[in-house]
Amino acid sequence: MQLHSAQFPVLSLILLVCLAGLAAVVLLPAEKKQAVKYVSAVCSAVTLGLSVYVFVAYDRALGGMQFVEHLQWAPSLGISYINGVDGFAAPLLLLTGIVFFTGVLTMWEHDLRVKEFFAMFILLVTGVFGMFMALDLFFLFVWYDVSLFPMYLLIVIWGSTNREYGAMKLTLFLLAGSALILPGIVYLVAESGMGTFSLPALVNQADFSPFVQKLAFFLFYVGFGILAGVWPFHTWSPAGHVAAPTAVSMLHAGVLMKIGAFGILRVGMFLCPEGWAFWAPVMALLATIGILYGALAGLRQTDLKFVIGYSSVSHMGVVGLGLATMTVDGVNGAVFQMFAHGVMTALFFSAVGYIYDKTHEREFANLGGLSHVMPVAGGYFILAALTGIGVPCLASFWAELLVLLAAFDAYPVYGVVAVTALAINALFILRVVEKTCFGPVNPKWEHLPDVSFGLGLPRLVLAGVIVIFGIMPFLMYETIQSASMLLISGLP
Amino acid sequence: MTNWTLFAPELFMLAAAGLFFALSLARPQPARDFAAAMVVAAIGLSLTVWAVGAEGVLFAGTYRVDLFSQVFKVLISAGFFLVICLCGDLSGVADKRHSEFYLLLAVCTLALMLLTSCVHLLAIYLALELSSYSLYILVCLRRGREKGLESGLKYFIIGACASALMLFGFALLYGTGMSLHLADLARELPGRLHEPVVLIGFVLGLSGFLFKIAAFPFHFWAPEVYEAAPHQAGAYIATVSKAGGIAVLLRITAAAGAGGDQLVGFLMVVSVASMTLGNLAAIAQQDLKRLLAFSSVAHAGYVMVAILSFNAMGLSSGVFYAMSLLVMKLTCFMIVIQVSAGGNNIRINDLAGLHRQAPVLAAALMLALFSLAGIPPTIGFTAKLLVFTAAAENGYLWLVIVAMANVVISLYYYLRVLKAAYFLEPEDSASPVRVPAPMNFLALVLIFFTVAAGIYPQPFIAAARALTHALIG
Repeated sequence: MQLHSAQFPVLSLILLVCLAGLAAVVLLPAEKKQAVKYVSAVCSAVTLGLSVYVFVAYDRALGGMQFVEHLQWAPSLGISYINGVDGFAAPLLLLTGIVFFTGVLTMWEHDLRVKEFFAMFILLVTGVFGMFMALDLFFLFVWYDVSLFPMYLLIVIWGSTNREYGAMKLTLFLLAGSALILPGIVYLVAESGMGTFSLPALVNQADFSPFVQKLAFFLFYVGFGILAGVWPFHTWSPAGHVAAPTAVSMLHAGVLMKIGAFGILRVGMFLCPEGWAFWAPVMALLATIGILYGALAGLRQTDLKFVIGYSSVSHMGVVGLGLATMTVDGVNGAVFQMFAHGVMTALFFSAVGYIYDKTHEREFANLGGLSHVMPVAGGYFILAALTGIGVPCLASFWAELLVLLAAFDAYPVYGVVAVTALAINALFILRVVEKTCFGPVNPKWEHLPDVSFGLGLPRLVLAGVIVIFGIMPFLMYETIQSASMLLISGLP
Repeated sequence: MTNWTLFAPELFMLAAAGLFFALSLARPQPARDFAAAMVVAAIGLSLTVWAVGAEGVLFAGTYRVDLFSQVFKVLISAGFFLVICLCGDLSGVADKRHSEFYLLLAVCTLALMLLTSCVHLLAIYLALELSSYSLYILVCLRRGREKGLESGLKYFIIGACASALMLFGFALLYGTGMSLHLADLARELPGRLHEPVVLIGFVLGLSGFLFKIAAFPFHFWAPEVYEAAPHQAGAYIATVSKAGGIAVLLRITAAAGAGGDQLVGFLMVVSVASMTLGNLAAIAQQDLKRLLAFSSVAHAGYVMVAILSFNAMGLSSGVFYAMSLLVMKLTCFMIVIQVSAGGNNIRINDLAGLHRQAPVLAAALMLALFSLAGIPPTIGFTAKLLVFTAAAENGYLWLVIVAMANVVISLYYYLRVLKAAYFLEPEDSASPVRVPAPMNFLALVLIFFTVAAGIYPQPFIAAARALTHALIG
């Protein structure tokens, strides 16, 4: 793992901006709802700007870890504060910035306990940013948990359908995941005998025996896999998505599930390559079952959020399948899919959120003809659906194409199953679109307003990102490639 | 020639006990007693801080003043001070008993201070009994509750059994020709732990300390005592008394060297049983103090993980854990005291509406709960990380996984408390919670420590390391 120091600590700046925003929101009086929203919006806009800067300024030709910051933190325990970004992390930071910004704007009309909502929301995002850039296992774990625990209150207080159950299930599942990750980390650190939590030091110098790698990788795979929605640990995900408020669903399906996949990649695959090779067939099997299961379970759903929730399980299966191929293309596709699915799901939830806010109805059988009533909102919904089913020239297409091509080589049977499942899912999603947006207009919704420009802005941003990276996939591809080449060529 | 300055904090506490005794003879005046207690506790705390650097041996080698004992004395008197801070509203105890309440707290604090310094098994026994006897009475002081007496009796009987077993253990050790001096014990014990008599003697000898920290199988008193005792006494038992118990446990087990398979196996059973039993039982509780009691039992289990590692890391993590328990449990009891009207017990759902009526307390409660569950970035997480690192160094990966599984179980009931404080709305009849400004300030201080030790643990870890060196050289 090559480290290139930062001229200017831009990564820490992202975290500091988040924390400053958090402090400002906490200090503002609870009655000043508008001020809280403006502070959150400014905070998210600045972090979005910084994450775009990191993505653009990342030197693809150089590769390796860039913008690296290093600070001794707790030397008596081997903890140091190291941040860095490689071709895997840069797209995900960008994703976080986009979803943060659009999430805040989506909640602009939100009126219940505004201050606490945005405080929790910013705290959660801080954890996500930190997790994507952390290169020290201690900090990585701390950020990971910081991004999880606000979830409980966010869902319980501001959620909808069956929220207490959904929130408790989600929190316990995700914390059960970290109950495997922490032992894994502590175990590796103890086995290395180096007394350090620093990821670069462990990757470059530690010599783990195959047994240690297999055991540790298993812990990381299951631990992070719970958050990544790996079948059969995914059951928290649809229930949680449905219960959560719109912006939290966006962040959650859009970014948090990627944290899980990223954790497998960053910790499991970087530290335990032999474990990766050993468990790859199992990963491929579980991922394929996940793709198939998500697609089939989606068929039975009547609630729009459940439909998206199950399609997320399916799409995250694609990520898992890509990682399991252990090839450059597969890993490229997997990371690209993380990004594309993140933006797509955010748009999807945001579109459904708008429809739900206006109609208080998510059963798609009771909707209908929405494209006549609210053509713009319907348009966003359709675009998200098309991205979800992988229509060419939209971002997801390239990601799924890469993964499936790699999968056909490595696991032909799974590849065929996955393609079939995705096709079934696509047909189903098209039917959902038909029932929701076309057909006769339900007279109940005839008088509903369309999306205003302000509320449409976040959706526009998300749609723009999907199209840009759909038309110019190389912008994303080359960045990821710079990291995956190094990872794969470094395999034993 | 005895150097009495080494003994100054203890002497001061003794004098304080005398003062409260005198006050108890005068006409009862709660405000005066509280003011006197605050002054005494503040001076006691500064005295122990002043005495941190002291080193020396007293009383024919049975009493050792070193960094380990001195820092624990700071912890204990800091805990004493904080508990006294919470006594502003001591409505759970009859007015005329306030001075006696402080008297017993002072005596117990004195005993716990002695406990951290004793290096002779009989001296340890005496100090342990002195602290326990004051607590037995403290528990019974609850105003108008028959249950106070009943639980005090239960506490006493279990304590007496544990003491008897402990004495029997010491006698066995003595019978095998070993000295009762810890320094001599540390030379002989590690090599002889495979002998059944020695092993049984040592294990029985630990029972008194397991009772003190409410570990399985001496945990039965905890829920009744926490429930029935005055809130402040409960806070004291959950924090200060535990710190003393952990200190002496660390000192004794440090004498056992690397432990040995049978001893480690026994302690593993104690550890896993404590945490699992405590966490499972806590799920069913409605009374907040009973819940805290069972969570204490679970935490005793995590502390045992630190102790059974029998390495330097384990000892320092034990020190850190004592500190973290002090902060976390004290925060929880502070909320109990503030929310309860007239010193009555509160149920979890009585916390409803706390986030509106007392936002600072609610935030402190949230952090304390996450800290108890071991979620970063809090002091409780750092404590667990240290403990698990110690266990992993010895290759006890499965134990770490069992402990983490327990963390997930515990999260369920902590989240229920959190939900009550942040999500439920109070019924109209409930009286609103009013928080005096000093309590808000105290809550902020506790929040600061909870988060600071979670984010930047270096100074605390370094201190714990230094203590360990003082202990094992």
